[in-house]
Amino acid sequence: MVRWSADRGLQARMLLTMFLLAAVYLIFINVIMAMGVGIQGVVLIMGLFLFIQYFYSDKIALASVGARIVSESEAPELHELVGRLCAIAGLPKPRIAIVRTDIPNAFATGRSQSSSVVAVTTGLLRRLDKSELEAVLAHELSHIKNRDVAVMTIASFLSTVASVIVQNIFFLGDRRDRESGNLFAVWLVSLIVWIVSFILIRTLSRYREFSADRGSAIITGRPSALVSALMKISGTMARIPREDLRKVEGMNAFFIIPTGAIANLLSTHPPIEARIAALERLEREIL
Amino acid sequence: MGFLDFILGTTKLPQPKSERLFAIATARITLEAKLGLKPAGNAAICIKPLESSTYERTRAEVEDLLKLGSRETGTAYRLESDSYGYLWVVLTDQDFEDLVSGIHMVSRSLTDSGLGQQLLCAVFPFSNNSKVYWIFSFKLGAYYPFVPASEKPGRERDSALELRLRSVMSEELPIEKNVERWYPIWEMPL
Repeated sequence: MVRWSADRGLQARMLLTMFLLAAVYLIFINVIMAMGVGIQGVVLIMGLFLFIQYFYSDKIALASVGARIVSESEAPELHELVGRLCAIAGLPKPRIAIVRTDIPNAFATGRSQSSSVVAVTTGLLRRLDKSELEAVLAHELSHIKNRDVAVMTIASFLSTVASVIVQNIFFLGDRRDRESGNLFAVWLVSLIVWIVSFILIRTLSRYREFSADRGSAIITGRPSALVSALMKISGTMARIPREDLRKVEGMNAFFIIPTGAIANLLSTHPPIEARIAALERLEREIL
Repeated sequence: MGFLDFILGTTKLPQPKSERLFAIATARITLEAKLGLKPAGNAAICIKPLESSTYERTRAEVEDLLKLGSRETGTAYRLESDSYGYLWVVLTDQDFEDLVSGIHMVSRSLTDSGLGQQLLCAVFPFSNNSKVYWIFSFKLGAYYPFVPASEKPGRERDSALELRLRSVMSEELPIEKNVERWYPIWEMPL
């Protein structure tokens, strides 16, 4: 049996991402200052936004998707499931929210383990059976356990600021700046910061998904439950045919369809396939 | 399929890839050790019939071979037609390796007679509580799992178990990656 341990790979990557982002932003701020743009004001507003984002990120995230916190009496089974998983994972029980939408999804938010919220959509509840739902909830709890939510919140906030500057650059600065071409330099630097931070965040984001998948497999002991949940969410399960082989053999066409490069290029879910492959490796480890 | 075939739209049916059939003989040990799945003691090969004398002659040949084989290895056989008109050669033997080589022998002799295109699939049933079929498609040269959840009304399959079988066995068995090709076969004569 694989034991739960701190995910050193994830921790190292989170640190590195934050460090690199900080470096990128320091350079960014220095460049803006050198250009003589009203930097104090910008820094003040950025600081205020960061403060709000950090302390209200959960409420913002929940409000933006229309999630509603549900009490124990409203969703007893869901609370029961989460409670049991938290006992296994050694976590305080987070609040639980439900989003009314048919799109199957789930997410965790909150800046610390004790102030977290796990949200699931009604579409997810409708599609998944109990063990699959358990696997998805364990995945979200792993995000909380790995404390990667706060890091992502801060990281994406900084990226958002850069994107705002890129898009609204011509409302900043005075006429002298506009004429000297300084503003264009700021715009260019902002664009580079935006792109670099975007790539860093994407890389970290992908890695933390793998970590949470791993955490889910360890908490539930059943990687296959998460595999089938991922397959249901991504629609892979629905792609397994129900029509008899002898019936379709008559058409024969499906054997000739070129697969490989073109099919891979067009397929919409490479990340899901990669996650499933990782889980399958884990399944063989556990067995 | 070559590039020109692709451009010009000419199609050739793929030749059967039967060498990979043998992978099941070793995979069987893992199936039993990790999943408690035991071979059901039989296996089958499904052939799409042709209305031709070659087919009739080959069928007679195969039957002669099977008769001979049953004397040597004790593999019992029977031929059956299903509702689609396909021919099933069902072999029964407690020795799993004899079953695999029996299936391979039939596929080889059909291929040698130029009837390789007519090979639909080979089926190896396993069981513990539920019945699990490993279907080998000669055209894909790969296996895929088929677990009927209930044989009767809904014709539901246990996709979750099938996917789990894939994850456990993917290192030992050549498994078809594209789940869209995991066609079920309902009401098999075994």
